[in-house]
Amino acid sequence: MVVKEVTKKVGDHCTPRSRVLLIGPLQLQMRIYILTAVAAFFSAVCVRAQEANPASATNHTVIIKQVHFNPPQMVVKAGETVEWRNEDIFSHTVTADDGSFDSGLIDPGSSWQRTFKQAGTVGYHCRPHPNMRAAVVIQGTNERGAASNLASRGATLKWSLPTKPEELHPIFVNFTAALLPLSLFSDILGRIFRRQSFHHAAWWMVLYAAVITPFTAAAGWWWRLTEGSALPAKLITVHQWLGTTAVALFVVLAIWRWSTHKRAASPSLAYLTFALIVVLALVYQGTLGGRMVFGK
Amino acid sequence: MKLSKSYLSVLTSAVLLGAGAVGAHAQAPTDPQIAEIVQTANQIDINQAKLALKKTSNPQVKEFANQMISDHTSLEKSVNDLAKKLGVTPEDSATSLQLKQQATEESKKLANLHGAAFDKEYAAHEAAFHQAVLDAAKNTLIPNAKNGELKSALEGAAPLLQGHLEHAQQLEQSLSGK
Repeated sequence: MVVKEVTKKVGDHCTPRSRVLLIGPLQLQMRIYILTAVAAFFSAVCVRAQEANPASATNHTVIIKQVHFNPPQMVVKAGETVEWRNEDIFSHTVTADDGSFDSGLIDPGSSWQRTFKQAGTVGYHCRPHPNMRAAVVIQGTNERGAASNLASRGATLKWSLPTKPEELHPIFVNFTAALLPLSLFSDILGRIFRRQSFHHAAWWMVLYAAVITPFTAAAGWWWRLTEGSALPAKLITVHQWLGTTAVALFVVLAIWRWSTHKRAASPSLAYLTFALIVVLALVYQGTLGGRMVFGK
Repeated sequence: MKLSKSYLSVLTSAVLLGAGAVGAHAQAPTDPQIAEIVQTANQIDINQAKLALKKTSNPQVKEFANQMISDHTSLEKSVNDLAKKLGVTPEDSATSLQLKQQATEESKKLANLHGAAFDKEYAAHEAAFHQAVLDAAKNTLIPNAKNGELKSALEGAAPLLQGHLEHAQQLEQSLSGK
């Protein structure tokens, strides 16, 4: 409907003296289609990101009373949230024995919560009262894996603006993951068919990749800093540094590609090989990312 | 473990507090006396924590002292509320007077110490003091409390004292490690 209306309007203003304007409506229609497709793609990506990381509902409560954690052992499934409610007359903390989290002082009448993503047992204590000891047992997702895990976490299709790092990182990562391989692919096509337009596209894509990838890494770091302790330590360490290295490599690639583009030349085999290595590193990086969210 | 002077002095008070049980049943503290002993112990700990806050520059010691003030103020209030509810008026006894006198001496000693020496003495004394009060609560105060609510309140305070004891021991250890 909207497309037709706009087309008609622009068409009305068409005058024979300009051939460029004659194709205007077509171009506009095309642009609207592209915009619609991009918007659809974006919302699909956002919904997907939402599903992967739904806001977990609190369904487990540890009561802190009379200088005790009750129950002393709380069993939850990976991805679930535990709330600590301080019903004591003293302030307490919920501090992981391995130092992976610390609530800070929870005043009487206040509460604190934390979502546990990684299976295992975490012992914790109260810093001011080290005799207060308890544990959270986090059960892994079952054999059916991620899908049933998502189902049990109550993922919904509801649209909401992505604001958290765990929502933003998977969105940005799509661009990073798509742009560089496509740029490489486009350069290869350009060499095969000897078409300069393929090389132009490749240059622009590698530039976009270099521009957007720092945001991907920033969202990743933000995620890591807010709840990195809940993620598998080895995986996250490799992922974070490989990702940070990728940012630098993308910039190097963009500069390299730019120098070729400026000379209107085709990229060298050295460049293509280097780009291929970065693409392979990116595939490995994506595998690690997937493992951290969905398990092995 | 090296027995510091303060540890010995507190040990004396522990023996004294324990004497209620060991000595004669006739000397067992009454509920009003138990209430006063608990409140005295609270007051002593709060005052020494306030002194520590004035004198120390060690963040760990500050954190500990702030926690003592916060916890013992809450405990004091809950004991006060309970005493009022039960119509118990705290009453001095030989034990509470002895505690007060020892606290005055300890405060004087602490007042003359500075820096790391102060921190160490404060932590050592806090560990010993909480051990003494905990022992007294378990051996003398709880068994002799007549009123059920007072008894269960004392039982409820035991894990808190145990927590303070362990925290003070940790503090002591980390200070001697430096």
